[in-house]
Amino acid sequence: MFGGRDGAQKRFVAATMTPAIVYVAIFSLLPIVWAVALAFFDFSPRRTGTPFLGLGADNPFVGLQHFKNMFDFSADAPLEVQQFHIAVKTTLIFAFLVVPLNLAITLPLASMIESVGRRSRVLFRTVFFLPVLASSVGVAIIWGYVLHPQRGLLNALLTKLTEDVTIVSWVADPSMVVVGIPVALLAILTAYLWQDIGYNLVIFIAALQAIPDSVKDAALVDGASAWQRFRYVTLPLLKPAILLTSVLTMISAFQVFDLFQVMTRGGPDDQTRVLTLDIYENAFRYQRMGWAAAVSLVLFLIVFLISRVQARMLRVEWEY
Amino acid sequence: MRHTSRWLAAAAALVLLAGACTFGTETPTTEPTGSGTGSGSPVTLRLWSHRSPAFNGALKEAIAAYTAMHPEVTIELESFDYDSYIQTLQTALPAGTEADLLQMFGTWTCSYAGFLAPVPEDVSTTEAAHEAFYAAPIGGYTCDDTLYGFPHEFNIEYGATLVNTQIAETAGVDWEAGWDSWDAFRADALKMTDSVDGNVLRTGYHFTAADGLSYSFFSLLIEAGGSMLNEDGTAFTLDTPEAREAFSVLQAFVDDGVIDPVLFNDTENWVGDCYFEELCSMGLVGPWVVRDYEEGAPDVAAVTQYVPLPPYNGSSDFVADSGWGLTVSANSPAAQTAWDFIAFTTLDPANAAAFNLSSGSLPALVENGVGAVRDALVSEFPHFEPFFEVLPNGQYVGNLPDRDLLWYEIAYPHLLSGLQGNESVDEMLAAMEREANETFG
Repeated sequence: MFGGRDGAQKRFVAATMTPAIVYVAIFSLLPIVWAVALAFFDFSPRRTGTPFLGLGADNPFVGLQHFKNMFDFSADAPLEVQQFHIAVKTTLIFAFLVVPLNLAITLPLASMIESVGRRSRVLFRTVFFLPVLASSVGVAIIWGYVLHPQRGLLNALLTKLTEDVTIVSWVADPSMVVVGIPVALLAILTAYLWQDIGYNLVIFIAALQAIPDSVKDAALVDGASAWQRFRYVTLPLLKPAILLTSVLTMISAFQVFDLFQVMTRGGPDDQTRVLTLDIYENAFRYQRMGWAAAVSLVLFLIVFLISRVQARMLRVEWEY
Repeated sequence: MRHTSRWLAAAAALVLLAGACTFGTETPTTEPTGSGTGSGSPVTLRLWSHRSPAFNGALKEAIAAYTAMHPEVTIELESFDYDSYIQTLQTALPAGTEADLLQMFGTWTCSYAGFLAPVPEDVSTTEAAHEAFYAAPIGGYTCDDTLYGFPHEFNIEYGATLVNTQIAETAGVDWEAGWDSWDAFRADALKMTDSVDGNVLRTGYHFTAADGLSYSFFSLLIEAGGSMLNEDGTAFTLDTPEAREAFSVLQAFVDDGVIDPVLFNDTENWVGDCYFEELCSMGLVGPWVVRDYEEGAPDVAAVTQYVPLPPYNGSSDFVADSGWGLTVSANSPAAQTAWDFIAFTTLDPANAAAFNLSSGSLPALVENGVGAVRDALVSEFPHFEPFFEVLPNGQYVGNLPDRDLLWYEIAYPHLLSGLQGNESVDEMLAAMEREANETFG
């Protein structure tokens, strides 16, 4: 079957690829297939199913029932459905805030870092990248100290500035809302941006360095101002990098779990309950694995669709 | 290349198929060659437990004592951190790959009853077990009058409160006298509260963490003469006058300024952190918390005492949810030996007492709640003393459809929201009852 030179090549390909394929099949494909299957069952590992994978019997097949339930918007919808609606809304708000804010911070910052001297550039790049290396749980704990009502740095600073004792619960007061967005969610958003901007910064710096000087020089010769050079030359040429960072940032924003789990555990009053937390709690805390699998499929669909839209909107037809 | 692709696809399909086939296969967890003790044939048992230095140490001592008497038996202890243990049980039990001996928290037992072996009559009858153990801990191991294991300990989160005696004495509170009413308790808690311009810097009494708030509400509810469930246990009865009365007792602490439930709850200033950072003068949490924090905050631990909570409506009854104990897998091929070990470490008063002394847990056996064992435990763990008085008052919370869901997703969020003024009492109780009843499915 694999004889001759061509056969040797095939054997080499098979030998080198098989471990990777096996690895992916066991740890990625199998769980995905299992999750998709579970979404159509009312499955709880606490209940006894049939000998075939524990499905059936007390873990009955429910078809599309989980997905139908997701569209129950009545006031007396089951708790998990109400929490799912909250989680979808919170996740979308979080993700759609993260992407523009991240880009609004990292793009100008990258331009500024790129414009300074070589030594300073390395220093700034390192400083801004350092939080990326920190563990998310550590970041959550650090921000917990900053935002602590009685002993937090932020309230201490406000007390100093206002000369009034300021005790604000930044992550646990459900009545604190700014333009419809809970302050607790904004607090987590701040912590997330602080940790995450380093990635995009590095990508943008690399993209800026890849823009040929001749293009910028031509704009300069044509009399373009600094803003015009950025707006009409740099920014369009950064489109592929913007596409990459916005897609990656959007996907990672949908997947944030640890900051929410450590800083608020979904509170106050479910105001920071995101889909990842909702899936975790339903699957592993309350053993509603069928429902959790259905929610995880919805999360996948949301991320997939948004990524496709982003890719279409930011597609470029040229290279330089 | 087409052949290679096909070959790789076939390999992947085989792996998927193999994975799917092995998922439901029951893998023997032991290799017994004998049926149990006394036969002289070697028997190996696996024991799974949650990871806790104190409990694991006590289990190892129990295993050492048992295997010294039964040299033919080997018991291999495997422990998992708490979250991993829950997930391991959830996946291993349906797959039939669990250990022979499974440490369970009482309230979990009935959820997994389909995978567990009932206690053989020659080990104990249900009636005998209910006489030997306190009602709350053994209640968790009894499902529809069938016994599935025995508790090692009485888990308690209510009945007595942490008191920082230094703060109490500075505030002029005679904590040693205790309290005979909730009004007197609240008045002293207010004295121990430190506020500036209406901002609570240090609360006098922190009861608004998830466990504290749920236990307080449900305990006051039964003390007020109400009941969590209807008579046949098929529905929750939480929207009742007794529930309103119970909530009003808790609301009074907020109204009087003893606590601000926005600043002190489960995520902000959790009671253990709060108490040992001296942001709480008193706090409602079980005695295990002292062992966890005393190394980091020895000064606070040195001035800490537990004082019984006052009775309400003449009653000191409270809801309790069992405790850690041992069960046997229905798949275990060495069940007889497994039950023999469980009887050795939980039913024998001397061995059960040794476990409690080693793990620093309260006894589940009634016999060990009095007399010499009680004295030995109190001399080793002085914080246990007030709890011994209330153990007989513990009422098992009942085999709820999902205790954690009720506690953490239904009762706690609504009660906290009610205390914070975001839900009216009527809305709160109606929503709690409706959502709690949904858990019956």
